Amino acid sequence: MRHSFTAVIEKNATFQEDFETEPYECAWASEARWFIHVAELTGSGASLSARVQVSPDGLFWCDEGAAFEPISGPGMYSLAVRDFGGWLRLDCGLDGEEPKVRLMIYLVLKE
Amino acid sequence: MTGSPGELRYCAGSSDRGLRVALANADIRLSRFNPLPRILAFDDFDDGLHGWCELVGNHNGDLNELQPVFSDMRPAQLSTCTFFDLGTHGAVDGTYSMKLATRPRKFHQAVAIKRLTSAADGLVQFEAWFTYKAEQTFGSQDAGARAWDGNYHPSEAHFGSFTLWNDICEGTEPRDRYHAALRYENTNEEGEFTQRWLYKTGLHPTTRMLREGFDSNQNDVHVAKPDMWAPIPGGDQQLCFNEVPTKVNWHYLRWLFDLSTRRNTELQVNDLTMDLREIPVLRFEEGYWGISRLLNLCMDVRTTSNVRNFLYLDSVVISADW
Repeated sequence: MRHSFTAVIEKNATFQEDFETEPYECAWASEARWFIHVAELTGSGASLSARVQVSPDGLFWCDEGAAFEPISGPGMYSLAVRDFGGWLRLDCGLDGEEPKVRLMIYLVLKE
Repeated sequence: MTGSPGELRYCAGSSDRGLRVALANADIRLSRFNPLPRILAFDDFDDGLHGWCELVGNHNGDLNELQPVFSDMRPAQLSTCTFFDLGTHGAVDGTYSMKLATRPRKFHQAVAIKRLTSAADGLVQFEAWFTYKAEQTFGSQDAGARAWDGNYHPSEAHFGSFTLWNDICEGTEPRDRYHAALRYENTNEEGEFTQRWLYKTGLHPTTRMLREGFDSNQNDVHVAKPDMWAPIPGGDQQLCFNEVPTKVNWHYLRWLFDLSTRRNTELQVNDLTMDLREIPVLRFEEGYWGISRLLNLCMDVRTTSNVRNFLYLDSVVISADW
């Protein structure tokens, strides 16, 4: 049977400026899937961007290459990644006028 | 009270205790533990998290109802103990350990829980091989701190505390529920070294209590106010932080508590064993619904600095004498 674990990386969190998610260790897994569940996104022209980042040590980060399409409203969004090494996080940006987002972020790992 | 807690433990076994000990010692992974006769769980984190999950507070489906102290206790991680300077450290055996990680925010707390129920009243023992660290920082966090001298490293002062605790409820009657909590306080709320074991003198503020307006700072899941902890007699102990934030040394811990007396029995951490039978454990005056025979075991880590704190567990054995 394959191993799997779902981590709630952000739980009903509200952001009004750019943020990075907490580092999460994932060396044991060969596949990962991010989910962003946007409950609210307000502000004129507001949008959320999210780029996948990787790290050798959980301290220093670079872009992995994958990114969510810009998110402009409530809903469930998902992105799969592989070959990510030992750590994953999302580098998230908010654009628009006084943007505000409330969301859940999940990381589903599988080996 | 006569006799040592250890005697209690050895008398509690059934007549085949000797055979059980011999079998455990013949198992290279179990021989570093000293379990009671019935092993309820052997959690070697080389093959998963074994049911240790994030503690989340009670709500009605609307997460806005979560009380602040229960809202962000972070998911456990399977860690390789990898550091920027030496690469992968690994665990006692194999590669992985369970890691609890705080946010880099003063008084943030990460909590993992394993949920069981009890089949009888009697002794329960929690054993673990653990280590703890503060995250590596680079300069700015150490301003004004005691300087690195080649032996002492200011990272040690970035680590707050870790706590092992339970949540027990026998039934629905008043005074059926209680929490025993034992904290290793490395630094106090002011960030000063204390390096001692504590027990709590205040009730765990439950979601129901907080919704009813119970006055709490909401920055420690165990107590409402920071002065609700007291030192365990004979509980001063310096652990092996090992000088820098990237070297980990694993420690043995054994915590014994008694469901029949509703008390702690003893806590062993390496060469220090504390008799806890006289340590009071507070009970809730109110009854709680739907948690009869609750036997939850929890671990947490809490930072007293704006630096991430980590608690690692290589493996855990939970055993009982019933």
